[in-house]
Amino acid sequence: MKISDLLRLSADNLRRRKGRTALTVIGVVVGTFAIIVLISLGIASNANNEAMLQSWGDLTQIQIWNYAYGSVGETPKLDDEMLETIRAQEHVVAATPFYSSNEINASIYAGKNERYEAYFYESYGVDMTALQAMEFQLQSGSWIPDGLNLGKKKIPVLVGANMGYGFQDTRKSWNSGKRQRWAGETDSLGNPVPPFVDVEKDKLTLRLMAYDSNGNEKTQDFELVVMGTFVSDTSKHYFTESGIAMRISDMKMLEQAYEKLSGKKNSSSGSSVIISGSGGVMREQDNGYQEVYVKVDDVDNVEEVENWLHDIGYEQTNSMTQIRNEMQASVAKSQMILGGTAAVALLVAALNIANTMMMSIYERTKEIGVMKVLGCEVGKIRTLFLVEAGSIGLLGGAIGVALSFAASAVLNNLNAIVAFFGGEGIDLSGLTSMMGGMAGMGGDVSIIPPWLVLLGLGFSMLVGVLSGLWPAHRATKISALEAIRHE
Amino acid sequence: MAPIIRTVNLRKVYRVGNEKVIALNDVNLAIEPGEVCCIVGASGSGKSTLLNQLAGLEKPTRGQVFIGKHEINTMTENELAKFRQAHLGFIFQSYNLLPNLTAAENVALPLMFKGMPRKTRLKLAKEELKKMGLVKRANHKPTEMSGGQQQRVGIARAFVAKPKVIFADEPTGNLDSATTRQVLYRILQMARENNITFVMVTHERELAGCADRVITIMDGKVQSDVVVDEETRSRSRAEMFKDLVDLAPAEPQTTVPAQS
Ligand SMILES: Nc1ncnc2c1ncn2[C@@H]1O[C@H](COP(=O)(O)OP(=O)(O)OP(=O)(O)O)[C@@H](O)[C@H]1O
Ligand SMILES: [Mg+2]
Repeated sequence: MKISDLLRLSADNLRRRKGRTALTVIGVVVGTFAIIVLISLGIASNANNEAMLQSWGDLTQIQIWNYAYGSVGETPKLDDEMLETIRAQEHVVAATPFYSSNEINASIYAGKNERYEAYFYESYGVDMTALQAMEFQLQSGSWIPDGLNLGKKKIPVLVGANMGYGFQDTRKSWNSGKRQRWAGETDSLGNPVPPFVDVEKDKLTLRLMAYDSNGNEKTQDFELVVMGTFVSDTSKHYFTESGIAMRISDMKMLEQAYEKLSGKKNSSSGSSVIISGSGGVMREQDNGYQEVYVKVDDVDNVEEVENWLHDIGYEQTNSMTQIRNEMQASVAKSQMILGGTAAVALLVAALNIANTMMMSIYERTKEIGVMKVLGCEVGKIRTLFLVEAGSIGLLGGAIGVALSFAASAVLNNLNAIVAFFGGEGIDLSGLTSMMGGMAGMGGDVSIIPPWLVLLGLGFSMLVGVLSGLWPAHRATKISALEAIRHE
Repeated sequence: MAPIIRTVNLRKVYRVGNEKVIALNDVNLAIEPGEVCCIVGASGSGKSTLLNQLAGLEKPTRGQVFIGKHEINTMTENELAKFRQAHLGFIFQSYNLLPNLTAAENVALPLMFKGMPRKTRLKLAKEELKKMGLVKRANHKPTEMSGGQQQRVGIARAFVAKPKVIFADEPTGNLDSATTRQVLYRILQMARENNITFVMVTHERELAGCADRVITIMDGKVQSDVVVDEETRSRSRAEMFKDLVDLAPAEPQTTVPAQS
């Protein structure tokens, strides 16, 4: 007996009782349809949430701090050695501090007679390779190579897209509207107003200013050489807009120069952190970089790396994964509730199939007996009924999937459709937020990926086959003698 | 010659509530290859029970059933299914054609269980239907045929796989006497042509006349086991089938009454 024979016999039998088969199939259609549409809403919600998180910042980035509030143990020192350990960890692509020194008192000067002044505090020491790994973009120029040496008093830097607008005109009074210019400003003709300083061309002087123990002001000048300009992306860091990035080594060199200037002896690598001790006594401790960014190879590994960081003692961390997990959990929760309802529909469909198969087997008791007498093995009889039950499931599943696509298309284009019929727009954000998603992203409401189609078909067929197990078992128990018994 | 069917102290007891019904009581039989054997007896004497044990449709309470060298009472259900595929055919009183299959598909059913491709088995089925004078009905459903026609389809189905033994429990029980003779005639002719052993239950004594062996059952026991002599058998067959030409003029195979 061949598979084609089994299929033909099953099809014959299903066709023989068209009405009953149709009703049973409809049950499966409803169940499959409900499940697929609900899952598709969840997928769309997750996709929309993901898109929103992307717009907020890099999902594969973890921020860690060298201190933790209310920490039980000590946070380990976050120094260069630790950075190497972190870089060596699996799934970590790069790690860099955004190292700014709040010790240094300095300003940047440009223009004739140093007319224009900008503050230095938006300057950071960073790992250049890490910036590239974290997909910081340059709109012009190039990254600063590690070994680059322009001379003792020259520091190569990268500047934010609108760093030039950080300069103020020192000739104008503090309350004059002409003292500052800002990005996006236009003149009376509507032309954009350029910044006072063209940072890529003009000479930039960095002046450290310190007071020695006698209260005398001391200064030291460096030249900032602009090597490149960032594409502004504040979701990565705000220095890409208005700040300055340099190599960590240069930042440390500036720090040491400043210390020497001011005569203070201070930490060489990192900021001092004030931590409240157990007795309420304030004490100062050097604990390496205050803030470090870790780049992970894949969104799905962020949690693992973050957990590892917690394990090695960095309790204070931040990543989008935390928010993402919360969002996904909320989507999953609503999917569970709605999916449960859909599962009940499918369970009813399964009982329906089982019932239909039972009826069919009672009706065909004699036929089954005859088949046995004619030499049909038990296994083939079982297969025959399983194929029948599975076909009901698969047929229902296929129709259910097709209807889901139709429903999905309608949901995704509801506004267009309603508008076509002259109606008002409909806000589906309620539906999205019901699924735990963030409303108002304008993405699709329902997404049916290929795997969901396969899942729908496979699952409905499985439901059919499972519902057919008991009836098929009963069929195999029918005696060959039934063929001879007279009604 | 070694018997093709043999029973040894065959016993079948049915339990109905607390009562025991002894349907077969130590039956010992031997049927030779190629024989046409009739099992006769009063209603309730145990004929059907005996046939069911012989065909392996039911397990005996005690005793053995041999078909050829095979002891079928010890076979599992699947072994029996395979054995039936290979060696046994069956004709039912109520035809038992599958209602949603055509005549040809019904005839081809045993070949399908054997795994024969559809084309080949339908071809063989049609040949068999032709011998039954039903070639025009090959694509008809059972409900579109008369009782006699359905039973001829049933006969074709029993013969199509060329079994060694065919069992039939009152195959003509639902037919009128003219059709009965016509159907029986075809069975006997086919059985002889293919050297098939044919075992039939009937309570019509006159049908038993054309058999090679007549086994009479009474109260679950073999009352008599008679091998009919050549002359008597020829005479009763000639008598029985003499008007067959008039019964079925359109069917050429029936024009010459068979004589051994
Ligand atoms: N399944 C069963 N359960 C209980 N008793 C049974 C069963 N089958 C048969 N019997 C009994 O066994 C005996 C023999 O029955 P069987 O059907 O073999 O008779 P039969 O000779 O074929 O009769 P008929 O000519 O009426 O068909 C009867 O007394 C019957 O009641
Ligand atoms: Mg009987």
